[in-house]
Amino acid sequence: MNSAVTPSTAVPPHRPCVDLERQSEGLDDAAVHRFILGSDERPHKLSQQEATQQLGDRFAQLVLLRGVFPSNAGEVLAAIEQAVSPDDPLRVREFFLVGEGTQIAPIPGVSVKRNLRFLATVGRGPGGPDIVFSAFHPEHGTVELIAWDLAVGGFNFYRTVGASNAWVFAGNSRHALTSPTRDNGPFESHKNGHFLMKELRLPWVNWDSTTARAVPSIFAEEDLLGHPWVANLAPGGAYTLEKDVAVPAIRRWTETRLEALVSGNSEETPRRLLEQVLTTSTVNLASSNTSSVVAAIGKVEKVDLPESFFVDSAALSGILGLVPPPRPFVPSSVYAESLRTFEVRLTDEDQFRRPGDTHFAFVVPERAFEDADTLREAIERGILSRRLAACLLMVDFPNPIFSQKRQRLLEHVPDDAFRQGEAFSQSISDAIRASAAATQPGTPEHEFTQLWDAGEDFKAPFDALLQGYYTAFTERLATQEGFDDYMRLAESRRDRVREMPITESPMLFARTNIPSRERTMLADGTVEEA
Amino acid sequence: MAILDRFDTPGRLEELSEDDRRAWSRRVAGMFEGLTPDFPQFYDPTVEDTPAGLTPATIAWPAFPARVIREKGQGAASWELADGSRDVQDEYCEWSVERGEEGKITRITFTTEVPEYWEHVAKNDPDLLLELYHRFVDPRVEPDDLFDGEEYVPRNRWNTSTEGRLAHFVQGSNSLFAAITLVAQATILRERDNGTPVTDRQELVVCGGLGEPFRNSDPQIAEIVNDNAGLGHEVTLLDPVGLYLDSLLSAGMETRDDADAAEFWRIERGTPDHAVRASFAVPEERGYVVGDIKVDGLPITRGAQVADKVRIRIGAVVKPGDHQLVRRRCVE
Repeated sequence: MNSAVTPSTAVPPHRPCVDLERQSEGLDDAAVHRFILGSDERPHKLSQQEATQQLGDRFAQLVLLRGVFPSNAGEVLAAIEQAVSPDDPLRVREFFLVGEGTQIAPIPGVSVKRNLRFLATVGRGPGGPDIVFSAFHPEHGTVELIAWDLAVGGFNFYRTVGASNAWVFAGNSRHALTSPTRDNGPFESHKNGHFLMKELRLPWVNWDSTTARAVPSIFAEEDLLGHPWVANLAPGGAYTLEKDVAVPAIRRWTETRLEALVSGNSEETPRRLLEQVLTTSTVNLASSNTSSVVAAIGKVEKVDLPESFFVDSAALSGILGLVPPPRPFVPSSVYAESLRTFEVRLTDEDQFRRPGDTHFAFVVPERAFEDADTLREAIERGILSRRLAACLLMVDFPNPIFSQKRQRLLEHVPDDAFRQGEAFSQSISDAIRASAAATQPGTPEHEFTQLWDAGEDFKAPFDALLQGYYTAFTERLATQEGFDDYMRLAESRRDRVREMPITESPMLFARTNIPSRERTMLADGTVEEA
Repeated sequence: MAILDRFDTPGRLEELSEDDRRAWSRRVAGMFEGLTPDFPQFYDPTVEDTPAGLTPATIAWPAFPARVIREKGQGAASWELADGSRDVQDEYCEWSVERGEEGKITRITFTTEVPEYWEHVAKNDPDLLLELYHRFVDPRVEPDDLFDGEEYVPRNRWNTSTEGRLAHFVQGSNSLFAAITLVAQATILRERDNGTPVTDRQELVVCGGLGEPFRNSDPQIAEIVNDNAGLGHEVTLLDPVGLYLDSLLSAGMETRDDADAAEFWRIERGTPDHAVRASFAVPEERGYVVGDIKVDGLPITRGAQVADKVRIRIGAVVKPGDHQLVRRRCVE
């Protein structure tokens, strides 16, 4: 058994992003400093030569290295524009808007904490834009920026400090992968060094999008009325962001990262990939496509639910080809009754409070796309065998995220360097099956061993297991008791996400009266409370 | 802008004679005439003035049908359904697929062409209609395939399938009249039985009888129009009135030779700013086909995978106004 550290545990001392901000106060204006938490004790002002050597992205090359130090997001955009020719792809810019209260119209006498923030992208190409940055306001406040490093690959993470024009280089995507920098600074949220868009897919709850736009009347409250960034939000909003920015950016880093791994140019080992397969260090958010209002008042008969709440469909079906789940629906009347039973309300924990769910019904965490993409790429590159991946993910399959059982299997994964062929996969399956727990029914090792015994033709028996489960949860969804159980389970998972640094607003999820408790789904579609 | 001289053809197509272009304008004007008396905040720009300097609103959405995703989820099952029938391609964009010998996709053709325009061509210039079918659909098309007596058959044997080369919309909700009517009807403000205003777009669509609440297109158009009507403004559609292929979001497409897949998007009809027909195909000299390209890590096996990255748009014009706001109850 391998004795490596448990997954997602930062190498002490953990250095959260707030440390970076705190310790960066008082930095020299008009300069770029390196401060990679976990590696650097304190910020270090980079000389021109150091910056040239370490920063291979176009933002650094075109702006910082030329002695230009913007102090806000608008100045970043202007600086890039001034530095490139009219036909340069970096002339292509788009603006997006997100905020947990973007769909809440102003209420007289009530201040709503909408947490509105802009995302601006600069450039275009098969891998998405080279530069992406976010800010609460175009003209003031800090800027967080990532830019693709053309020399070493991966994104370089930057930010400004306070109202100054001092810039901090906080690390490259690769620093997210290994100690002592992993989980620290920006990699507290960007767990694997990726671009982050929590609400990655339709209906992109919280984003201005094709499914729900930011209510225009909020811009006056937010001091943004008539601002060019608002007037020129990207057509399609979050739809465009997902397709043209987020997914390509995530894939770009995944490919670069795994290419480095298989070619022996990476400091990480394949075990790091298994952590993404077997544990849940980050998530995306999924939801119904039905607005909670239209569902709650019974204007539609049924509410669709994200299938990823019930099963890891992205991995099991999308990547491994196992039988996909049916689209889950709950009767609107059942959903509405649950809202009452659990006193569901949306609140910013200050002045705003409203009964009911988030704009789109039933927002829940799901397996992060970056983890699924890593799995796909690991299989395609021969790092993991399909059989191993299927057997690992079928352990405790009714719990697509936060599975303690699957996490336990990580103890059997060696921390060896990458080797071509199936040796790595074989060594994992051998270790699990040889463990003492493999003979004890009820353990994940035993479950894995039984799954492994299905052999290479695992599809039919695995499909049968999934099919039985699909039938069970579909039947329970038609009942009040069944859906109430799923509301409780959803709340347990949301509680886990509330503890993650990606939660930036109390309005990310609605609140309920459901006691905070660990709950798990069983293969018969029932929910077990700890 | 002043008063618009006439409605231009969709995509500013120039294939009609001058007389027929004027006739097209009259046809579109007829659609407006049938609506403006009932919807005072909807206006005909060839009749009423549009002040200069207004910035048109661009309303954009994915070509891939949201209703299919709601029913099937995202992924292979929804791609199969959407590729299986033009009748489910209800986002003002339809597509068809051509495959090579090994079954790999060689070309995907997308259209936002409205049936009314082709009916207009059929009525006024049948020879041109046949020529268009020969050039864009199939050289084997015969006049008898397209007409039932004197009547043009939009859903003819060459324009019903998701295979081959399509001509124009056939899905029941995809038409110019439907889009114009939606904009007109969406100017009506709604309220619930208890008097509270209806603002949620899905509720607005159900309440106003505006169609399907789970499409990408109509609910969004309806909400934006309704919001502006709620400010007392007037609304119309931007000339050339039509639905347009706005963009192929090609990032994330992986080609064998690292070419930018955006190069493989070819506008076949319309102008670059107003494309109504485009195809996605790899030039033969590159030695591979569309089926060899990956989208988000997966080989393209369905046209729907590309449709998911095609953005459609319509343009609207909002004219400042001071209409008195009156809310109506939901239609039953």
